[in-house]
Amino acid sequence: MSSQSRPPIEPLPKFKRNPMTRRAKRDAITFALFTFPNFLLLTVFVFWPIFYSLFLSFFKWDMIAPKKRFIGLENYRVMFSDPVFWLVTKNTLILSLWVVVVKLAISLSLALVMNRDLRGRSFYQAIIFSPTFTTSVAVAMVWRWILEPDYGLLRVFMRPFGIAPINWIESTTHSLPAVIIVLIWVGIGYDMVIFLAGLKNIPPELYDAGLVDGVNPVQEFFYITFPLLSPTTFFLTITGFISALKSFDIIRILTDGGPLNTSNVLVLFLYENAFRWFKTGYASALALLLFVIIMAITLVQNRLSKRWVHY
Amino acid sequence: MKKRNLVWILLLAVLFLASPLFAQAKAEAKPEGPIKIVYWRSLTGVAGEAQDDVVKRFNESRSDIIVEAEFQGAYAEILQKMTAAIAADDVPDVVLLDSPHMPIFAKNAALVDLGQYVKDEPKGFLDDYIPGLLADGYYHGTLYALPAMRSTPLLYVNGDMLAAAGLPRRAPATWDELREWGKKLTKINAKGELEQSAVGLTTGLTTAHWYFQGAVYAFGGLVSDEDFGIHLTDAPAMELAQLWQDMVFKDRSAIPSNSHDDFFNKKVAMVFGSTGSMGNVYSRADFQVIPAFLPGQKQNLVPVGGAVIAMPKTGDKWKQWAAWEFLKYFTGTESQAYLARKTGYMPNSYSASKNAELVAYYNANPQWKVAIDQLNYVRPQASVISLPKGTAILQQMVEKLIIANRDVKTVMEETTADLLKEYKDNY
Repeated sequence: MSSQSRPPIEPLPKFKRNPMTRRAKRDAITFALFTFPNFLLLTVFVFWPIFYSLFLSFFKWDMIAPKKRFIGLENYRVMFSDPVFWLVTKNTLILSLWVVVVKLAISLSLALVMNRDLRGRSFYQAIIFSPTFTTSVAVAMVWRWILEPDYGLLRVFMRPFGIAPINWIESTTHSLPAVIIVLIWVGIGYDMVIFLAGLKNIPPELYDAGLVDGVNPVQEFFYITFPLLSPTTFFLTITGFISALKSFDIIRILTDGGPLNTSNVLVLFLYENAFRWFKTGYASALALLLFVIIMAITLVQNRLSKRWVHY
Repeated sequence: MKKRNLVWILLLAVLFLASPLFAQAKAEAKPEGPIKIVYWRSLTGVAGEAQDDVVKRFNESRSDIIVEAEFQGAYAEILQKMTAAIAADDVPDVVLLDSPHMPIFAKNAALVDLGQYVKDEPKGFLDDYIPGLLADGYYHGTLYALPAMRSTPLLYVNGDMLAAAGLPRRAPATWDELREWGKKLTKINAKGELEQSAVGLTTGLTTAHWYFQGAVYAFGGLVSDEDFGIHLTDAPAMELAQLWQDMVFKDRSAIPSNSHDDFFNKKVAMVFGSTGSMGNVYSRADFQVIPAFLPGQKQNLVPVGGAVIAMPKTGDKWKQWAAWEFLKYFTGTESQAYLARKTGYMPNSYSASKNAELVAYYNANPQWKVAIDQLNYVRPQASVISLPKGTAILQQMVEKLIIANRDVKTVMEETTADLLKEYKDNY
């Protein structure tokens, strides 16, 4: 395979019938040896589970029983008639949309500020980036305490303004917003750093030219910065959506999907079905659906990107 | 040529990597040196340390067996880890299971039938265990587990808060009395914010159902019978559900609560808790704690909860023998008396409850006796608890009642339907 993709350096001698030289053969073997460990790991931990999950989605199985019972598309029928499934899907989509949009807006603003010559810039950057390398469980535990309605840190800040305490975690209306806030907070640092890298890549000549033409800061942003940043924004939108659709750990600790599934999302619901209630087949069907949703959203974004992403 | 080479390399590598899988064989002869076994325990704080103490004592008393205790999280996590361990064929030798979880493993032949070991013990070996507690170890007539850390639900009362509200330092005897007291204990400030409430109603994932069951028993009803008949729409359960909802939304004398923090922070004067939490509650509270029976109404009756100890099938004869030796020690008189004294869990046998040290301890600390007193008022838990999703459905019911404030009748009918569906899904 490598012999085909490699452009010929010199024309091969005519008398050789086999185009594969000794060198090319050796290359092929080396290639196989180098890729094999990765390929094996991918097969065991990625390809095989995906196919096994697809297979399991046609069965009823509790993970322990020696026999799996084939039930055809029953898991999918149950899924689409399950009100909890629809609630959870709705939550997942609402959460993803809010998290991605707000996170991008805040992190871009921060990146623009950090891109200036600011005293102690690296210090602020380090602080804003810190949630990225903090264990998510620790983040969720600390936020549980911050959001505690009576003694929490947030309450301390709200009390002087006479705002009534909100029981974020145990309220059917506030648990999803609480999750969204924490997920945004966690993600801002990473997005900001990527945006900063994008900003640094914009040639300064363009700003100079703009200056000569007398643009104001708003025009500068909309005609120079934002269009030239669009590949970065696109990358962050796609990865942001994928990770938001897959959010699990923070929600598991913060609200555990409750109360009454109001902050439950697809991956957590999948986890509950698989590992709390041992409905392995149903959980597999959910996993497949999640795969389809992520794929669809990514494809749509890819198509739309042609309209606004400039390379 | 190239392709064939690749295939061969791949095949050889797969064989090479997989070879250890085939080489595994299990030894039959008694191994030389001490036998090492692994015990998966649950529970944190005092209740966890006390188990480690028992393991340590066992190891000191035996030269031929070494038990290694591993903390594996709460009961729900042990359930998950056990399932994963069975799938991976790497189970512990002894495990502490929440009693409703035992049938899940027994049903799938993942636990050792203890009968084969019992028959080699002296006659009447099982007679010492308190029958109501031993009963949970059976699945379809076969003994798979022994009672280990058994508990009943209690009401923990903050005596100082009661006294401050002009109430006697004792627990309310009935739910009616509790509601009456609630009026004096509830404090609402000028802005309409709740500053103090009478009781925290548990919404915990694995505990909400237990206290609800206890309250339903007090009202003379039950959640479900042995044949999975659901009784949530019967008068007692409905009456109780309405009472809880009214206390939360009308009187504001009760709040949904999923940890004991509300109790330790003095936000509520009373909270539900397991007898097994007594050690922890006493060590954390900076006020007078009165452990008491759950309020009665028509009767005093509580669902017995807590754990059983079982032996997952490892296929290793000697390890299983060692596991049985440990099981006997753990559920034996001395260990149980020690655990009861340290943690508040109930002694599981007649001999343990008469153990001199324990009796002396109860005499010196009469409030701890509540665990043993309540032994006279226990009955098994509702059958639906053994369904994989049973506790979750009941927890959602409690949330619908006291968080979402949904119509009681609708909630009870929905829950009944959910439970029946889950039953059909499993049987």
